[in-house]
Amino acid sequence: MESGQHMLRTGRRGTLFEFSMALRDLVTSYHRRGLAWSLAWHDVVSRYRGSILGPFWITISMGLMVLGIGLLYAKLFGISVAEFMPYVAMGIVFFGLMAGTINEGCDTFVQASSMLSQTSLPMFTFIWRTVLRNLINLAHHAVIIVGVILFFGLWRVMDVFPALGGLLLTIVNLAWISMLVAIASARFRDIPQFVMSVMQFAIFMTPVFWKPDAFPDRHAFLTLNPFYHMLTTIRAPLLGQEADGLSYVVLAIMAVLGWALTFSVFAITRRRIVHFL
Amino acid sequence: MTEVSIKVTDLTLRFPVYGVDAKSLKKNLARVTVGGRLSSSQTGATEVTALSHLNLNLRAGDRLGLIGHNGSGKTTLLRALSGAYEPDEGQIEVRGRIAALLDLSLGIDPSATGVDNIRLRGRIAGMSSKEIEDKMDEIAEFSGLGPFLAMPMKTYSAGMQARLAFAVATAVEADVLLMDEWISVGDADFQKLAHRRLLNLVERAGILVLSSHDAGLLRLYCNKVMRLEGGVASEVKDIRRLDELLAAA
Repeated sequence: MESGQHMLRTGRRGTLFEFSMALRDLVTSYHRRGLAWSLAWHDVVSRYRGSILGPFWITISMGLMVLGIGLLYAKLFGISVAEFMPYVAMGIVFFGLMAGTINEGCDTFVQASSMLSQTSLPMFTFIWRTVLRNLINLAHHAVIIVGVILFFGLWRVMDVFPALGGLLLTIVNLAWISMLVAIASARFRDIPQFVMSVMQFAIFMTPVFWKPDAFPDRHAFLTLNPFYHMLTTIRAPLLGQEADGLSYVVLAIMAVLGWALTFSVFAITRRRIVHFL
Repeated sequence: MTEVSIKVTDLTLRFPVYGVDAKSLKKNLARVTVGGRLSSSQTGATEVTALSHLNLNLRAGDRLGLIGHNGSGKTTLLRALSGAYEPDEGQIEVRGRIAALLDLSLGIDPSATGVDNIRLRGRIAGMSSKEIEDKMDEIAEFSGLGPFLAMPMKTYSAGMQARLAFAVATAVEADVLLMDEWISVGDADFQKLAHRRLLNLVERAGILVLSSHDAGLLRLYCNKVMRLEGGVASEVKDIRRLDELLAAA
């Protein structure tokens, strides 16, 4: 075990050994979770230093978008505002979490290069930093969600626990995607641009601004889109609907396979990551 | 409480150099699609051997000075001892709490206040929030910055920044202290203070490893010395034989 008192670094190789070292990194990051939290909190504070509203500026800009799109599209699509506005509000806020965690994941290691090259801090710490930072932002934007829930009286029909389950599954999945792009971006500097393009594309291909009513249930266009499953498991229960059980299954399977893949990539590249930077 | 020690056995460190080109995905994709053509000049990253078969044994009370030309591997060795690099061959084992004072600007956010930076830097160095709050007064006093601690670091002069960074960096309880040459910070008064604090720290720390080009400094702080040349280490010698090692250059 790595502790503050004993450090051992060896040139030993072998798959099993690399995996145990990667696991040790993960465990150490858990023991030092306070550090990840401090870094994440500091990131948010320092980004908005000197600004009075701070992260709420993003909340305001999201709120404006919700208002504009909610009113305009409701008219264009011929849906009632009361039905469409909460739908779009949740779509924009939760997709913001997904896009933020994945896009910022690209910078995770690159940004931390000076710390990684002269301390023995666990690498997972920086992954948690990115994830926690985006959760702190989400907590600010939750104002919008609470607003539409109160305004449109959704508290009477919503089901919080399935939504929290969906959120948890989503975060677990976002974390591995974020880590995978973090490693890839450290090695290949084209990845951040590529990821950004994909996320830009995804926001239009995912039912964030539009309702998937035109598709029959479980159409491949939706079921093959992981962001659809993430969004629908959080949003549907909050709107008083039931999310398709398939979505929970897909997310659970994706979490297991995704983490297996990411953890393997990490185990193999771990000793090289600091040299990529 | 375990005995403080550093044990390096047959350490070899190689740095793969990823060329600017190799960092582009296109080249790697092209290699797959075009086949061997590009790869003849691109295969395998060039490697630089930064440290080669290095052995080192230090126990409590050892204060080792590292000398050598630029690029001889001094900083690499210090970073390896801090745990940042994984050896390609051999083994590094350090017992005791490590404090690496290699870069004064590590974790410093120029737009944050002095106090915030003390907290952040302290957390990175492994102190708990409580430890930091307990030491806050002492750090603040030593930095001598008084009311400036409530100001953003970017308003500080270079000397003031160095004072603060030095104060935080040396506040950690450490058994093993790793230092790159940077002691010459601040004005004459601060130099004296810094010197006293360092001696104190060195006394408390079981082991010191200091890299420096300054023979006077090495004589002041160290009792042993080792010379690195192109990643190859000399024997560890008594500090009284420093001139011998320097002359061998």
